[in-house]
Amino acid sequence: MKKMNVPFQTTISDPPVSLPEHTDQKYTPTHSISILIGGAAGTGIMTLENILSDAFKRSGYFVFSTKEYMSRVRGGSNTTLLRISDAPVNAPCWHVNLFIALDADAISHVHERLTSDTIVIADESINNEEIAITSMPMLETVKKVGNIRYANSYVAGVLFAMLALGTEILSQSIETLFDDQKPQENETAMQEGFSYGKSLTSSQLPKLPAPVSGLDNSMHLVNGSAAAGFGFLLGGCNMITSYPMSPSTGVLNFMASMSKEFTLLVEQSEDEIASLNMVLGGWFSGGRAMTSTSGGGFALMTEAMSLSGVSEIPAVIYLAQRPGPATGLPTRTEQGDLNLALYSGHGDFGRIILAPGDLQECIDYGYLAFELADRYQMPVVYLSDQYLADSISMIETVDFSTYEQRRYIKTTEASYHRFTFNDTGISPRGVPGLGEGIVVSSSHEHDERGQSTESYQMREKMVEKRQQKINLTIAEAFAPKVFGQGSIAVIGWGSTKGAIDEVLKELNDPRLFQVHFSWVHPLNPEHLEILKATEANIVIENNTTGQFADILKSYDVNIDHRILQSNGFSFFTDQLKEKLSKIIKEEK
Amino acid sequence: MKHPLDRTNINNAWCPGCGNFGILKLLKEVLTELDLDPKNTVIISGIGQASKTPYYIDTHMFGGLHGRAMPVATAIKASNPSLNVIAEGGDGDMYGEGGNHFMHTIRRNPDIIHIVHNNMVYGLTKGQASPTSQKGFVTPVQVKGVSSEPFNPISVALALKAGFVSRVNIGNYAHAKTVLKEAFLHKGYALVDIFQPCVVFNKVNTYKWFRDNTYELESTYEKNNLLSAMQKALENDPIPIGIFYQSERSTFEEHFRGEDKKALFTLSHDLKKLQALFETY
Repeated sequence: MKKMNVPFQTTISDPPVSLPEHTDQKYTPTHSISILIGGAAGTGIMTLENILSDAFKRSGYFVFSTKEYMSRVRGGSNTTLLRISDAPVNAPCWHVNLFIALDADAISHVHERLTSDTIVIADESINNEEIAITSMPMLETVKKVGNIRYANSYVAGVLFAMLALGTEILSQSIETLFDDQKPQENETAMQEGFSYGKSLTSSQLPKLPAPVSGLDNSMHLVNGSAAAGFGFLLGGCNMITSYPMSPSTGVLNFMASMSKEFTLLVEQSEDEIASLNMVLGGWFSGGRAMTSTSGGGFALMTEAMSLSGVSEIPAVIYLAQRPGPATGLPTRTEQGDLNLALYSGHGDFGRIILAPGDLQECIDYGYLAFELADRYQMPVVYLSDQYLADSISMIETVDFSTYEQRRYIKTTEASYHRFTFNDTGISPRGVPGLGEGIVVSSSHEHDERGQSTESYQMREKMVEKRQQKINLTIAEAFAPKVFGQGSIAVIGWGSTKGAIDEVLKELNDPRLFQVHFSWVHPLNPEHLEILKATEANIVIENNTTGQFADILKSYDVNIDHRILQSNGFSFFTDQLKEKLSKIIKEEK
Repeated sequence: MKHPLDRTNINNAWCPGCGNFGILKLLKEVLTELDLDPKNTVIISGIGQASKTPYYIDTHMFGGLHGRAMPVATAIKASNPSLNVIAEGGDGDMYGEGGNHFMHTIRRNPDIIHIVHNNMVYGLTKGQASPTSQKGFVTPVQVKGVSSEPFNPISVALALKAGFVSRVNIGNYAHAKTVLKEAFLHKGYALVDIFQPCVVFNKVNTYKWFRDNTYELESTYEKNNLLSAMQKALENDPIPIGIFYQSERSTFEEHFRGEDKKALFTLSHDLKKLQALFETY
C-alpha cells in the first residue's frame, strides 16, 4: 500500500491545546445610541442594516445589530436593532433612541419599545394618533428616482443627516453594497434623503460619541454564524452534512460558500438521521466532519450520538437553539436545549458541550470543537442560538496561524486493534487505508479488536475505558471565565455573555462579578470552588427552568436567584439591569 | 472451508442452513477473484442477521445503527474515494428502517456496492413481516396475514434511475457470482438484491421456492433500457433475476472532488487563505 502522509499527526500524550491569548479590551465606552428599523419581511430591512452597519463602521464606530423576525418569507413585521458606540457592544436594548418605521404595522409591532424620548421617523403617509412621527416624503421621492426599492438608501441618507454625519462614507458603502444593482439610483435616493434629513429641525437625537480613529481597518464586522464557520474551518472541518433548519442554516450557507475555496464537502442530507450518520462515516475514514441543526433536528440525531459514544468516533454538532417544544418559535431564540444536548442518546457515554458567548469565542470554540472531538474520540456539541447566530458585531483581527493544528490519527501496524486498553482510555484511532491494520468499528459492545461481544467481563472493561475518557475530559476541561471580583457571582453561559457584561459595568456595584461558562459540560468541580466562596450566586439564562443552574446545584453550588426568560427574545440590557437591580437590593 | 479473508477467532451467530452463509462465501470469493485488497475495503452494515456479515470477513468494517448503513457508506467513500466501499444488510434494515436513505443514496450515486439479503422476513426479532414479505404471509404479529403491498426494491431503484440494478438468488450461486462481480466493476451505486431463505422463520420462501419461482433474464435481454427494465421489475410470477439495468454516470464523489482521490486525512486547509477571507469582513 502506498505510504500516505498525515499532516499534524499526533497522539494523546501531547498535552491539551490552549487557545491563543487575546488582548484585553482597550476601549472605554462613553455612550451608545440605538436605532430600530421595522418593516415587513422582504422589504429590505436587511439591506438597510447592511448599508448602515458598513457606513457606521467606516465612520469609526463600533456597530452591533440584531434582528427579530417572523417565520415567513414575505409580510409580517420584523425589526433590526442597531447600536452605535465608541466601544464594542454585544447585547441588545429594549428601549431605543430612534425608530424608523418602514410601514404602519411596524409602529404597532414595536410601540412598547418606544419611550417619550424616542424619535420615530416614517413615511408621510403613515399617521398615528398616540405617537409623534417625524414624517419624510420617502415613497414619493423614491418613486421619482425610479423604484420603491431605493427606499433603504433614502432612509440611510435621512438618518446620516439627522446624526450630523456626511454623505461621503455613505456613498462608499452604497457603491460597495450595490456594485451590481443600480448604485447610481441608490446614490440619488440617498442624497435626496440626506437633504431632506438636513431640513428636519427635530434634534432631540443624542449626539454620537466621538469616532475612533483607525477602527475600520482593525475591526471586522461578522455575524455569529460566519464566526462559527471560520472557527470550524480553522479546526480543519472538511465535510458538513446537514438538513436545513432555522436558525442553524447560516452556518450551512457559510460553509457552502467556503466550499468554493477549500476542499470541503457540503451535502444536504435527506434527514437529520442521515446527517449525523454521515458525520460518523466521514470521521471513520479520516475526514473532519460536522453537522448543523436546531433542537428538532438534533432530537432525530440522538441515536447516532449514542453510536458516536460506543464506537468512539468523533463528531461535531453545531446546535443553534430556538424555542421549543416541537416547532416552537422557529425564528426566535432560547437557551432551552442544554438538557437535550446533555442527555441525548441512550446509554452512558462521554460528550463535551461548548457554548460560545461572543464572536471571538465563536471562532475559538469552533476550532476547539474539532480539536476536542479528535482528541477524546467523542461527540462535541457546539451550542449557539438564533440570537448569537444572527447578530452582527465587531471583532479584532484574529491571527489564524496561532492556533495549533493537530490530527490524532494513527498509521496502523498489522497487529492493530481499534479499542486497545491503556491508561488514558483513549485508544489510538486508525482509519481505513492508512497502514497495515484492519479497523473494526461496532455499534455493539465489543472487545479490543472491535468485534462484538457479550462477555460481561469485557463489558465491564469497556465501560471502564469509556469512563476513563470522561474523567480525562473533566481533568482537562476549561475553567469558566471570571471578570472582576466581589461577593455576588452573576453566572451565565453561552450567548448571555455580552448582556451580563454590559449590565454589570452599568450597575458598577463592587459586590458583583461575572462568571461565564463557555465550556458547559463536563464541569470540573475544582473550577466551581469560586462559587462556593461567594455570599450569593445569581444565574441568568434564557430558558424556563434554569437548566444550567440545576447542573450547578448538582455540584453543590448554591443558587440564590435565577433570572430566567423564555419569550423568544435574548436578554435586553435595560430590562436585565432592572431585574438584577431588584435582586441585589434584596441582597443588602 | 477456510478462506484467507475469514476473520479469525469468531463465533458465528447464524442458524445452521441459513442463506447468509452462501452470501458470505460469495462475497469473500468475489473480493479475492477481483483481487481487491481487504486493507483498502470497508463493509458498512446496519442491524440484523445479514448485518453481521462484516464481522466474519477480514476487511475494515463499520457496524452501524439499524437502517443507517447507506449515509455512513456514502460519507466513507466521499472522504476517501480510493476505498472499495460495500454497504450490506437485510431487507428490513435497508428497505424498512433505512428506506429513506435507500432512495436518497440512489439519487446521490456514490460508487458503492449495495448488497441486500432479502429473505422476506425478520430473523433477528424472530419472525415478523418484512417490507418484502408477500401478501398473506402469517406471522406472530401479522396474525391475519400481511396486508401491505410488498416493497419492490428493483422497481423503486429503477424509478430513481439507479445506475446498476440487479437481483440474484443465492441458491443459483454461479449466476449470483457473475452478477456480483459486475456490480463491483460498475462505477457508481450498484444494487444487488439477493434472495436467500430464512430456514427458521420463513417456511414459505424456501430454497426450493426461490428456485421454482425465479428465472434468469435471457442472454438477449438489453440492460440499457429503463422502460423494459421497469417492465421486467414488475414481473412476479416467476420473478426475473439478473442485471435489470445498467448505465454509468458521474458519481457523488466526483461531483465534489473531480479526479482527486486523495483521502481527506492527507489534506489540510490553507490557513493563509482562510486569513485572507476573514480580512474581507
